Amino acid sequence: MDSTILAILLQDGVVNGAIYALLALSLVLVFAVTRVIYVAQGEFVAYGALTYAALDGGHLPGSVALLGVLGLAGCAAGLWQARGRLDRPAVLRLLGETIVLPAVIAVAAIILAPMKPGVLVEVLLTLAIVTPMSPLLYRIAFQPLADAPVLVLLIAAVALHLTLTGLGLVFFGPEGFRAPAFSDITITAGPLMIPGQALWIGGLTFALMTALFAFFERSLTGKALRATAVNRLGARLVGIPTERAGLIAFALAGFIGALSGVLIVPLTTVYYDSGFMIGLRGFTAAIIGGLGSYPGAVLAALLVGVAESFSSFWASAFKEVIVFTAIIPVLLWRSLRHGPAEEEE
Amino acid sequence: MKALRPFWPLPALLVALLLPWLPGLPAFWVTLANYTGISSIVAIGLVVLTGISGMTSFGQATILGLGAYTTAVLSKYCDISPWLGLPAGLIVTAAGASLLGAVTVRLSGHYLALGTIAWSVGLYYTFANLDLLGRNDGISGIPPLTILDLKLLDGRASFSVIWIGVILAALATNNLLDSRAGRAIRALKGGAVAAASFGVDTPRTRLLAFVYAAVLAGFAGWLYAHMQRSVNPTPFGFYQSIQYLLMTVIGGAAHVPGALLGAVLVTTVNDRLQDILPRLFGAHGNYESIVFGMLLIAVLQWAPNGIWPLIARIRPRARIIRADALRLPARAMPAPGTTLLDVARLRRSFGGLVAVNDVDFKLAAGEIVGLIGPNGAGKSTTFNLITGIDTPTAGQVSFNGQDITGWPARRIAAAGIARTFQHVKLVPTMSVIENTAIGAHLRGHASALAGLLRLDRTEDARLYAEAARQLARVGLADMADRPATSLALGQQRIVEIARALCLDPVMLLLDEPAAGLRHNEKVELAALLRRLQGEGVTILLVEHDMEFVMGLVERLVVMDFGTKLAEGSAEQVRNDPRVIEAYLGSVE
Amino acid sequence: MNRIRLAAAAITFGLAGPACPSTALADTIRVGVTISTTGPAASLGVPQRNTIALLPTQIAGQTVEYTVLDDGADSTRAVANMRKLIEEGKADIILGTSTTPASLAMITVAAEAKVPMVSMSASAAIIAPMDAARRWVFKVPQNDSLMADAIATHMAAAGVKTVAFIGFNDAYGDGWSKEFTRAASDNKISIVASERFARPDTSVTGQVLKMIAAKPDAVLIAGSGTPAALPQKTLHERGYTGKYYQTHGVANNDFLRVGGKDVEGTVLPAGPILVAAQLPDSNPIKAKALDYTAKYEATNGVGSVATFGGHAYDAAILFAAAVPDALKSGKPGSPEFRAGLRDAMEAQKNLVMTHGIATMTAENHNGFDERARVMVTIQNGAWKLLP
Repeated sequence: MDSTILAILLQDGVVNGAIYALLALSLVLVFAVTRVIYVAQGEFVAYGALTYAALDGGHLPGSVALLGVLGLAGCAAGLWQARGRLDRPAVLRLLGETIVLPAVIAVAAIILAPMKPGVLVEVLLTLAIVTPMSPLLYRIAFQPLADAPVLVLLIAAVALHLTLTGLGLVFFGPEGFRAPAFSDITITAGPLMIPGQALWIGGLTFALMTALFAFFERSLTGKALRATAVNRLGARLVGIPTERAGLIAFALAGFIGALSGVLIVPLTTVYYDSGFMIGLRGFTAAIIGGLGSYPGAVLAALLVGVAESFSSFWASAFKEVIVFTAIIPVLLWRSLRHGPAEEEE
Repeated sequence: MKALRPFWPLPALLVALLLPWLPGLPAFWVTLANYTGISSIVAIGLVVLTGISGMTSFGQATILGLGAYTTAVLSKYCDISPWLGLPAGLIVTAAGASLLGAVTVRLSGHYLALGTIAWSVGLYYTFANLDLLGRNDGISGIPPLTILDLKLLDGRASFSVIWIGVILAALATNNLLDSRAGRAIRALKGGAVAAASFGVDTPRTRLLAFVYAAVLAGFAGWLYAHMQRSVNPTPFGFYQSIQYLLMTVIGGAAHVPGALLGAVLVTTVNDRLQDILPRLFGAHGNYESIVFGMLLIAVLQWAPNGIWPLIARIRPRARIIRADALRLPARAMPAPGTTLLDVARLRRSFGGLVAVNDVDFKLAAGEIVGLIGPNGAGKSTTFNLITGIDTPTAGQVSFNGQDITGWPARRIAAAGIARTFQHVKLVPTMSVIENTAIGAHLRGHASALAGLLRLDRTEDARLYAEAARQLARVGLADMADRPATSLALGQQRIVEIARALCLDPVMLLLDEPAAGLRHNEKVELAALLRRLQGEGVTILLVEHDMEFVMGLVERLVVMDFGTKLAEGSAEQVRNDPRVIEAYLGSVE
Repeated sequence: MNRIRLAAAAITFGLAGPACPSTALADTIRVGVTISTTGPAASLGVPQRNTIALLPTQIAGQTVEYTVLDDGADSTRAVANMRKLIEEGKADIILGTSTTPASLAMITVAAEAKVPMVSMSASAAIIAPMDAARRWVFKVPQNDSLMADAIATHMAAAGVKTVAFIGFNDAYGDGWSKEFTRAASDNKISIVASERFARPDTSVTGQVLKMIAAKPDAVLIAGSGTPAALPQKTLHERGYTGKYYQTHGVANNDFLRVGGKDVEGTVLPAGPILVAAQLPDSNPIKAKALDYTAKYEATNGVGSVATFGGHAYDAAILFAAAVPDALKSGKPGSPEFRAGLRDAMEAQKNLVMTHGIATMTAENHNGFDERARVMVTIQNGAWKLLP
């Protein structure tokens, strides 16, 4: 292998790794705040990518209808969960989040979609359509399970994944889609040929990480989320509602998922079920990073990306075998360093 | 509904043999029941592995594949009878699982879950790329099972074989969980530290649970291969593993009947959805997985612990104690007055914080000594260092003339040190007497296999007789069959003492035994401890109740901020100015 | 008692559930279909399902009833579906399934139940070597060996000496790797790189670098549907300028949409249906294929037709052709009728389908010859028949 190939493989691995890193970040966030291993996170990648591709083709994506249905269901679930302790502001807030907001987005999508309004508007519209689904799903599926064991939450997340994948097939069909890049520039640096989209991925990943860092360190909401992550009961005692924290965490996860989808769909073909494999990589990275450490998750994600890239060069038929077998010693090392098996969850 | 009683296997066996021949029974019900049976065997394994031991496996379908491929290769290419494929398949899965498990069970929590994903993905693609196994096309035309030249092609014949298998699996699992090894397995989730303190080899027990679940999956794989008559990688992937897991969780992950219920429900619902949904939505589009996912979430919200606990009143079985059971042999106590425990310059630091700072003290055989000090003085850490739950940074602990520093907890337990915990560590899913019997773990020797085959009954009766005797001794005989956590916290501490006594200890370490007790209970406890002393047991106790301590002990060791502050008789300590300062500075 | 009611409800649902076969007229012919409308092979299964909806409900004066089940390309589900269709649905014939491993798993069941089945998947292993079990199995798509020969011959004629291969890491890729290796050596072409990729992979850079490093005259990509575009696009990005070959697995318009200008000039073998309009009028396949295309696009939209759906249509053509003779052997629902269907399908000669003209024999249950494939290239974003 010469240095050119080495450099190209490295670049390829880092670009993929950056996407895994984004997903790993939001998985860590969601787990810390709600103890949910968000298996369905990957579906947001697929939904984001395919919604963007549909808008780019001038079609109204099926995800808009789903947003509306989820809004109604979320409203019903919210009313049911808060029965008996509903006051006027709470009802208004609930209606705003579950009915008005999705309605506004849906109307915007219906008006804008046939106009093919250009990459920027399409991307923003995609994020607006896909992101709110995640907190709505939290309301419907996970909030009533807030005190359930991690295993039950995991199975609920798997169930959600099955439903969302099935819906994805209905909305977007079995075939794959691509969408235009944010810019057509390609930078040539020696043997490396870096497409503009790769720069966008790197740049946005970095920006998002910085923003998340600032959010957690500086803003009150961010600190509240961190507090919830450390101690749910304690956070509730000092007046941080865990439901709110869960909603915010899921919203962030939905946003990051949709953004990842929009970022990769110009580089590769995305299918209705693509999200799962990408999500699994993110999950892998999040766990190697310790399901609690943000820098650890990012580093692990980049490693997974690079390992994949190199193993597909060396022995493509055994790529998964190589990547996943390589994980085991890492896990062992992490596990031993972590001390003996923790007692309860 | 009553809990399953031991007599159920016989009628169940009859049903397995006769039911499929019921006139008018639709053939497809039998087929469906066959698939359900195979899944339930895997799910029963997951009850032991995930529901009871707390290890989440995403790889059971792949292990099933291991069993299926083994018998497929042997019976198709080597012309070996399918019946011989069973032992071969079980040996291969057991060996494979021991190998995978040796690494996997050392992983903790989520690392373990990801570990199972990792090796199952690895194995899946290995199946798909091996020429011997037919690569992605797999092996088809596997011969069916035969009985006396009669080929079991009919689904009804397979039904009997499969459901006898399910009955055997359920029976074996119930036996295992009710044995000495099973109590160790049940203690893994939530009580692993306590179990280790009574001699349970927790890594080995985790491996046992892992291999047991794998062997059941391998057994299911053998049935699968000869019923399906073909194998290829597609049914052994991640998705199918998740299916088995969700069957277990839906049914009730901690209960064997729950596994059966879960398998029946998931299989039936999936089949019904195939019929119902096209009628509702038309044939354009597939809605099964969508609706299935939604149903699943609804069921989980309605029954987070699974459906079985909702329909069956789960309560521990009342245990019949055999009064004629032979007493377990007791160990000889050291001569009173000889040095039993010698703690020298014991030190434990966590990063910069020194929790125990060069502490020295000695205990003579037959003494009762109190270890006191304000909260955070390092008393419980000292206990953990002596009992091997934690490893000292420096210093030495000698017991009965042996250097036990750095020994694992189970070896220290074997040497005769038993303890209770400041935060009660009883297994919530077990009854009082079952929890107590864990204390006698080291006094029994029956293997898991003996337990599985019910060859351990004489010994187990002796262990339970011992547990009952100790419960009677601490005054909790009438609580024996209650769930452990249904007792008041003070009583739970007393159960911990009974459990410790089951070890037949030379020395007892009691961590706040009197907390939460009423006055007369404290008096009884003190009397019990004195009686034990009379029998030669040495006692070291941590206690905040000064009245209780002062009236009981001969000597006191006082700790503050990790260091030993003073040592001596109650009178000496009470008048020590440093002790007064330490306590007044932190009046509770 | 809540618990008792709950248990009763569960039992009612469980037991009363499985529907007894509907009490329709005795001489209804029941066709059971299991295909992969979800999961990794959904791009094959969905057009097949849409095709089943177009099939006639009257054949030779008999009512025909179709039941379609999804197997998600999982062989356990495929076999369970098949047993359900036979035992509960009393199917006289099984059409399916879309993928090779699942079809292979179904063979034994077909033979034991003595119900003929018509597979819609690629590998010749489904019908060869002919044995007692495979007597009951027919297959309508072209054997991958037929297609591999066509590619290798075309390559040799175009002066290609070295080829780099990249295929799906599944049964489809396996089958092609095996068949093409044989066909290439027959035509004195050497394979200089052999790589694999998975359908949902987001990047194939590693494989592509290795292929380019081997400096092949041509590359062959063996994947089905839109995923097969990814290696070609990556090869383009990395500046590979040799010839591109694809397999008939890509022959749908979605591939053209995703591939865009990067797939211009690609050569592939395909069933004639793909370029039906360009066939000479003398070709009997033309009318059949155009007829199907028109029917399909009338319900599913212009440009929606895919050759995979054609396989389902062909399976139905084969079945329908066998019905009149089979009715002479027995009434629908009887073992005689099913055996009659099998015999009549085996007796078909020069049966015109959308993908070719089949002549079945006792040894060959596919029956296609060279007329079942044409060489096609992509020109200006459309399929173009090569002479």
